[in-house]
Amino acid sequence: MLGSVPTTPKSIESYRPVIGDKRTEEILELASRIRGARVLHVNATGFGGGVAEILGTLVPLMNDVGLNADWQVIKGADEFFNVTKAMHNSLQGMYYDWTPAMREIWTNYNKLNADLFDEDYDYVVIHDPQPAAMLTYIEERDGQRHGKWVWRCHIDLTDAQVQVWDFLRPHVERYDGAIFTLKGYVKEDLTSPKIFHVPPAIDPLSPKNADLPLETVNAILERYGVDPARPMVTQISRFDPWKDPLGVIDVYRTVKKEFPDLQLVMIASMASDDPEGWDWYERTVRRAGEDFDIHILSNLNGVGNVEVNAFQRAARVVIQKSTREGFGLVVSEALWKGRPVVAGNVGGIPLQILDGETGFLVNTSEECAEKLSFLLGHQAEADRMGARGVEFVRERFLTTRYLRDYLSIFCQLSGLGPVAAEQPQAQRAGR
Amino acid sequence: MYGTLAISQRALNDLADVSDERTLDELRSLARPIEGLRVLNLSVTGFGTGTAELLNSAVPLLNDLGLDVHWQVVRGSEEVQHVARAMYQALGGVYVDWTQEMTDAWQRYASMNAELLTEQFDVIIVHDPQPLAIRSFPTTNDDSTWIMHSHLDMSSAQPDVWMLVRSHVEKYDAAIFDAPTFVRSDISVKTYVVEPAIDPNSARNMPLPDDVINTVLAQYGIDPARPIICQVSPCDAASDLVGAFEVWQQVRERRRDVQLVVMLTTEPQDPEGRACYEELASRAKDEPDVIIASGREIGNVEMNAFQRSASVVMQKGLRKGFGLWVSDALWKERACVVAPAPGLMEQVIDGRTGLIASSTDEFATAIGRLLDDPVTAAKYGENGRAHVADRFLITRYLRDYLQILNEMHTSNNSLNEMHRKS
Repeated sequence: MLGSVPTTPKSIESYRPVIGDKRTEEILELASRIRGARVLHVNATGFGGGVAEILGTLVPLMNDVGLNADWQVIKGADEFFNVTKAMHNSLQGMYYDWTPAMREIWTNYNKLNADLFDEDYDYVVIHDPQPAAMLTYIEERDGQRHGKWVWRCHIDLTDAQVQVWDFLRPHVERYDGAIFTLKGYVKEDLTSPKIFHVPPAIDPLSPKNADLPLETVNAILERYGVDPARPMVTQISRFDPWKDPLGVIDVYRTVKKEFPDLQLVMIASMASDDPEGWDWYERTVRRAGEDFDIHILSNLNGVGNVEVNAFQRAARVVIQKSTREGFGLVVSEALWKGRPVVAGNVGGIPLQILDGETGFLVNTSEECAEKLSFLLGHQAEADRMGARGVEFVRERFLTTRYLRDYLSIFCQLSGLGPVAAEQPQAQRAGR
Repeated sequence: MYGTLAISQRALNDLADVSDERTLDELRSLARPIEGLRVLNLSVTGFGTGTAELLNSAVPLLNDLGLDVHWQVVRGSEEVQHVARAMYQALGGVYVDWTQEMTDAWQRYASMNAELLTEQFDVIIVHDPQPLAIRSFPTTNDDSTWIMHSHLDMSSAQPDVWMLVRSHVEKYDAAIFDAPTFVRSDISVKTYVVEPAIDPNSARNMPLPDDVINTVLAQYGIDPARPIICQVSPCDAASDLVGAFEVWQQVRERRRDVQLVVMLTTEPQDPEGRACYEELASRAKDEPDVIIASGREIGNVEMNAFQRSASVVMQKGLRKGFGLWVSDALWKERACVVAPAPGLMEQVIDGRTGLIASSTDEFATAIGRLLDDPVTAAKYGENGRAHVADRFLITRYLRDYLQILNEMHTSNNSLNEMHRKS
């Protein structure tokens, strides 16, 4: 058996007040078609990371709507995780020398994990490339597979290193279906029986997104030295060249000429093992210089979910000045708090921002400064856009929609019919 | 140049609501003679440790008091991080196979870092032993006052590693230790004790409305109506996470409704830490009343909420540092049960601000007692807050530092004067 990850029970009913009866009933109806189905999610780590965060909500919700869902993590030593890290990066477009030794390590650990797999499920969802070959070796061993197998790819394969992708592809093509985050992330030469798209989503009840009393929002701002009485804009992101932290400071400086009271809060989400992030952190600190209206905070200082929530709520405008982006879910987080967002027109961001209606899509620093100053100068308009953003996110980017997509995929894989839903984005797939 | 850190400004006046005017005035008058004193704090990391947490508050407050205090982090690499971690463990009394290569790597990085020290300071405070050897290489600050501040209990350090470290400590003007029991008597430099302290105004200690606490608890499925045992600690072997779980198991034999919340303040840093996490996770797998809160995005407010919701806060591990999370909990008037580690015992006075326990049995009995007797638990909590107010607030920490800086600076100046005359 693989290592099991415990999750906290969650109830679909607690989401009903947020998403309304119609969406709730739709989920319950879909779930009833596959009631009691045994579902297994497999990924590389139960500890941190976006995938673990999603599974922490999805798995208990699946259980709550009547499925029997488990989450397990594969076994591996450092040598394996070093290889999978290289594999992950090369699938995202970085160049690595993909050596025979690396293939062997990857294959051996997949075989080992296949050997540990001794259970019977109706649906098995394998997340990301690390354990992708388990199915190959289980079939080799048993001569068959039990249940439907889906490969869930959370990364953008567009620029994948050919060598690595060609190595991985035959393993993932065995699956009954593959799920990608966006249409554009799929590699053209992938021939899976079914390809689905499921964009990510936010949990409206989590400490990062739940309502906060105004007094708490203000108290948190004050603890970190930010003045709640003066206008503030924020960007929450990793510090790397593609999030353009230096550009954000330049934009702030431009706009500050017109709004001298303006404060900027930048919250870096940093990993302790990321020297490049550290480098960019320092460059950003240096660019900020002696301007104490610029606040640079970090998760490593204990700035967590509730703090991020408070800063997003308190911001006049939220910035996400990406020049390259995955999905950029932080945009939906900000919209959910009723704030307009000015963000780079890249990756998944255009799917989240209706240009001119819930915020602005920008391509240059000049544009970014111009839109920012417009929103700071037109507060009523900014609030109106924020309110539209809330409705947009409610429709498309909440975790309940994510659950619904999975239920719908399971139904389709079992020939239990398509879904009578009307959300084009989150919609099933196939080509 | 070393790595720079972003530090938010702070004003001493912000402490007025948790301190009295007399205390603040004392700080102001202590700061006056050393106004403008240029002080550099040097550490291996700006994040995630109790030291970093404290410097984040202390540095801007000292600047507000008129000093010119800086905080920078030394340059490292994976190689030296590995060596530094081994050194830290050995100094804490965990045996490591310390090789000549490790000594060489450690000194090589110290010499590289010495070259980066190009700015001029009056006082340089080196936090923890890892960057200590910088002092032994020529820098532009050879005539400055050098102080080591060790936050680790090195009283049972591995002898060969301690001998190495000691040879460098001897070149310092003074050594500060976190607790009286941490002081090494086998060094000839002047020693001081400055116990760490909490910032009552930080997000981890500020008052929180019930709404916010409940939102945080709900995320983890914690029931605020049932008793909660909470441990906040890093994900490492010294935290004895599995031990905490076993304590909970025993308590539950008598109190079926008790929940355990383990909040991890760091990700596992080494295979040992990963193994601890995995064992805890697998033992807790079918126990919905055991909640493990971990991950990069869990922050100060969440820790604050967990501690406030706890009936009893425990610290099962025999930690080699001070373990200041206990003071955070005492400040929130929580009853604490802790292992008999020297740092923890400074904070928890047995039978007054909490209970000391050694074995799993003792922990379970002590926690059971406090759950059964909320009046005593509340009393301990109340005493605990008073104890922290008396000994572990940032104002006391600032006062200690100002006194040492005054003393060192004055004596160093007269020393220099003497040199000039002779």
